[in-house]
Amino acid sequence: MALLEVSDLHVEFDTYGGTVHAVRGVDFRLDEGQTLAIVGESGCGKSVTVQSFTGLIPMPPGRIVRGGATLRGHDILGGGRIDGKEVRGREIGMIFQDPMTSLNPTMTIGDQIAEPLQVHAGMKRRTAHARAVELLEMTRIPEPAKRAEQYPFEFSGGMLQRAMIAMALSCEPSVLIADEPTTALDVTIQAQILDLMVDLQRENGMAIALITHDLGVVARMADEVLVMYAGQVVERGSVDDVFYRSAHPYTLGLKAAMPTNQSEGEQDLQPIDGSPPDLFAPPEGCGYAARCPFAMEACQGPPPVYGIRAAAADAYDHESRCWLHHEDCDIAAEGVHKGE
Amino acid sequence: MSEADMTTGTGVPSFAPVPTSATEAQVISRPSLSYWQDAWRRLKANRRALISLWIVVGLLLFTVFGPFVWRVDPDDQDLDQISKPLGPASAATVATAFEPWAGVYNTLGPLPDTSVAADRLLAPAELVAVGEATTQAVRLSWQPNRTARGASGWRVYRNLYDPAPDHALGLPVGEILNPAETGFEDRLDLEPRRYFYSVLPLDAWGAESSNYITLSVDVKRVITAEEAVVKGLADDALELAPGDSVELAFHPLGTDYLGRDMLARLMHGARVSLFIGIVASFVYVAFGILYGAAAGFAGGRVDQLLMRFADFVVALPFLLFMILFRILFGVESGDSGIAPMLVAMVLLSWPATARLVRGQILQIREEGYVGAARLLGARSVWLVMRHMIPNTMGVILVTLTFAVPSAIFTEAFLSFIGMGVAPPTPSWGSMCNEGLKTMLTTPHELIAPALFISITVLAFNLLGDGLRDALDARMRSTE
Amino acid sequence: MGRYILRRLVQGVITVWFIATATFFAMHNVPGDPLQSDKAVSAEIRANLEARYGLDKPLMEQYFIYLANMAQGDFGISFTQQNREVNDIIAEHFRISAALGILAIAFAALGGILWGALTALYRNRLPDIVIMLLVILGISVPGFVFAGLGQLGVVNLNAALGFTLFPVGGWGTVSHMIVPALVLGLGTMAFLTRLMRSSMLEIANADFLRTARAKGLPANRIFRKHQLRNAILPVVTVLGPSIAAITTGGFVVELVFAIPGLGRYFVQAVQQSDYTVIMGTTVFYGAFLVFMVIVVDIIYGFVDPRVRLE
Repeated sequence: MALLEVSDLHVEFDTYGGTVHAVRGVDFRLDEGQTLAIVGESGCGKSVTVQSFTGLIPMPPGRIVRGGATLRGHDILGGGRIDGKEVRGREIGMIFQDPMTSLNPTMTIGDQIAEPLQVHAGMKRRTAHARAVELLEMTRIPEPAKRAEQYPFEFSGGMLQRAMIAMALSCEPSVLIADEPTTALDVTIQAQILDLMVDLQRENGMAIALITHDLGVVARMADEVLVMYAGQVVERGSVDDVFYRSAHPYTLGLKAAMPTNQSEGEQDLQPIDGSPPDLFAPPEGCGYAARCPFAMEACQGPPPVYGIRAAAADAYDHESRCWLHHEDCDIAAEGVHKGE
Repeated sequence: MSEADMTTGTGVPSFAPVPTSATEAQVISRPSLSYWQDAWRRLKANRRALISLWIVVGLLLFTVFGPFVWRVDPDDQDLDQISKPLGPASAATVATAFEPWAGVYNTLGPLPDTSVAADRLLAPAELVAVGEATTQAVRLSWQPNRTARGASGWRVYRNLYDPAPDHALGLPVGEILNPAETGFEDRLDLEPRRYFYSVLPLDAWGAESSNYITLSVDVKRVITAEEAVVKGLADDALELAPGDSVELAFHPLGTDYLGRDMLARLMHGARVSLFIGIVASFVYVAFGILYGAAAGFAGGRVDQLLMRFADFVVALPFLLFMILFRILFGVESGDSGIAPMLVAMVLLSWPATARLVRGQILQIREEGYVGAARLLGARSVWLVMRHMIPNTMGVILVTLTFAVPSAIFTEAFLSFIGMGVAPPTPSWGSMCNEGLKTMLTTPHELIAPALFISITVLAFNLLGDGLRDALDARMRSTE
Repeated sequence: MGRYILRRLVQGVITVWFIATATFFAMHNVPGDPLQSDKAVSAEIRANLEARYGLDKPLMEQYFIYLANMAQGDFGISFTQQNREVNDIIAEHFRISAALGILAIAFAALGGILWGALTALYRNRLPDIVIMLLVILGISVPGFVFAGLGQLGVVNLNAALGFTLFPVGGWGTVSHMIVPALVLGLGTMAFLTRLMRSSMLEIANADFLRTARAKGLPANRIFRKHQLRNAILPVVTVLGPSIAAITTGGFVVELVFAIPGLGRYFVQAVQQSDYTVIMGTTVFYGAFLVFMVIVVDIIYGFVDPRVRLE
């Protein structure tokens, strides 16, 4: 049984301009101790996916149309409870993109870290506070006792993100959801934060769901990758499969747009022309067809999910939502891995 | 999983390539709107703001064109209709000219008894009106109480309310020191309404008995033919016979305590109130923009200095400086007092706008698009005209719509405490001030101008809210 | 923090000095000698005043004498009320205005925070719509109309009850204070309610509230410790201007309810051109308001840690 399982999630938002179909049928599973990266460009529904099943999107205007989310088999859709106990903060810890605005400006760091301990673990204020200092130390913040008495505006961005991690891990959750945790940080700090997460994962054995649009972060952290486009998962597989045996044209586009340090002369970055489809009226067929170099007439209809034959027996499942993998399709799409 | 795990296959789809056009994919499917188009669209969708906009337009029409339609002099006193409530025109009956009354004498009553204490004197009997009670005169007669010993005189009271519940007799209108004279003629400011007359006996020292008799009298409005002609209500006195009905001057919103037409005063008052509200706010917002923009552009030491001074002006108490300006301008009672009010408002109200505009300019200076334009070689004039001004217009417009009602409020407040527009010049505030005195008897004199102030302020406030919502979501977070 | 307070105090003293100077020179620009106005000033008072202000001396010298007197808290003698010192007038009547003002501001601030939080919680539902309608009314109706209507309401209420629940005017007991304070605080309360509501709604979208929800905190704890506490900050920042608004609004309410406060005295002094009283009360009110703004800023420093450590 998977630790966390999300199935057929559909989320919509009612706005003045109409209904935005932000998430259109997302499935994924996350096993214990594993790291799942959710990749995609801005507005593809990455954050909405995790924030909706944890109950963090405002409803209304948001709406979970259908779908399910279970944690160890218990239904938790919308941030529910297991055995009458809150899931958020206890079983699922979360950190966000902008640590500068994600902490309460009028409360000391220590108090904010101690808060879930007081609420979920029933600790007294003083014990919780002492534990908060330990947690700050664990996230390698120097002078943790002094730092715990300070307010967020006295911290730098990287320090705040460490404090956020300390807060998210205070109740030793089984899942850590990190929603673009390094986007707002300097590159050097990014690496430190990622290292910290890896180390803490090794110590605690928690699973991490990492949302990012940075393929470098994915390569460094992830076991499994979910590529999202226009509210749907277009490719799913192990990090090696997705990177080296990419089976969806969009993944190829993403890779081409990523800078590398393998300097084979002056290699130009290849942008993906066009923009994602309007999610007020998502296309019936493949959302990527309008930008896809391999677009076919078949792409007017919704592409099925195809399994790609694995390279090795112990590899992860590898799936792609693209007509190119249809058995009758003999178009030679350069770069698209069609299985072995 | 095996290859080609088909989940939706209905027949074999076509795999013919479709050439993709990058330009086609670039096209955004929804129509794009300019900033102002989008703002206007959102404002139109806001029903409250739209209604407010129409109310503002209506008020301006009322102020500018009203006096051409309703040509009544706001200073004309209609003494026949003082404090008339709003409603249809009233009519008066033509009567013959006033003729003196001989009075009523009763020689049969008991002689005055000087030994009786006032409280033992009984109330007179048979209090009746003699003839018809009209606005010319109310004539009363009564009989002394025969069973009791004699009073030395009488006192007559008049009240607008029934004195019975708490023995409030009202206004003493007459005193008669001859006990045989048992009639009284009241000619004091009679209005066409119901009066309660009370008569009580006096003892030899002029002390009042607590026993009295009350009569309610409905007074009829009359006018002589000559008066009607003088007031322009009829052409020829000979055409009017007693008993005819003459229509009086029409006051749709009633009159005030001096008989002046409320509608005409509200229109002329609107000119003063809206003039001050609009001129003062425009001038100080304009000054604030210049000041704030200068500080924002200059930056550094100059900015620091300018903003320190602005902080300092904010700390000055407004009302006190208003009074100083009045004294400085040498405003005497009877002067309109508009000028010092404008000066005080302009000199003391600009810092808020200046601060806002400076903040905006500083923020916009750091925006990426300004930097980009600068890199592309744009000169500062272009930067200001093309990037900074359009991006502060929204904030300025919203500030202005909120500045107008606050200036109107200030005018009303100052006029109300007698430090703004002075009588006889009408303004909504000074009308409220006058109306407050008669609030308990004729509330329309307070309510009408108060309503106009409230509706105007409400309309501008809602319009400002609507504009703010329509122009920019970003502004809401900076408020 | 100490340095901050000191700096603010110095600024405040400069402001008061400016007010005093402006008042002095404005008074001296009044056409004619204020002492030779048509007000009957007895020879005795005139001699007193001339001695005190040295009216025969050069202007600058008079100015310094005036400043020196003022620095010692001596505001002179009333023109119209013979033998009454302005100091005594202020001391006697300001207490009443202050009591009324404190009650009104407490009522306005507590009411504003309460109603504002309530409307935000019930956003776009009936309580929100009803309260916001009242708020719009409260913002659009001038204070003196409230005062008039309040008095009318008291008259009718007493008539309906058959006994005097609230006196129509005057001062002395708690029952004298309630209606005037309510009427005085109403406009400010409406304004604060609106501010509190928009502040609450803005905070509702703040990232740190999402963090609080992600921590799985109970709703009422999120509301109290995270939303409310941060939403109150803007309300505290406008308390200074609110005190100024209530102070000037007090003039009207004291006039309408015949309350013997300093505000009513001040308006009367202006109407009677009682120059020493005007000058004295002007400087006193100026100093009071400047001081209150500083106090509010210091309070804000305690509420918002970001200001505290600057």
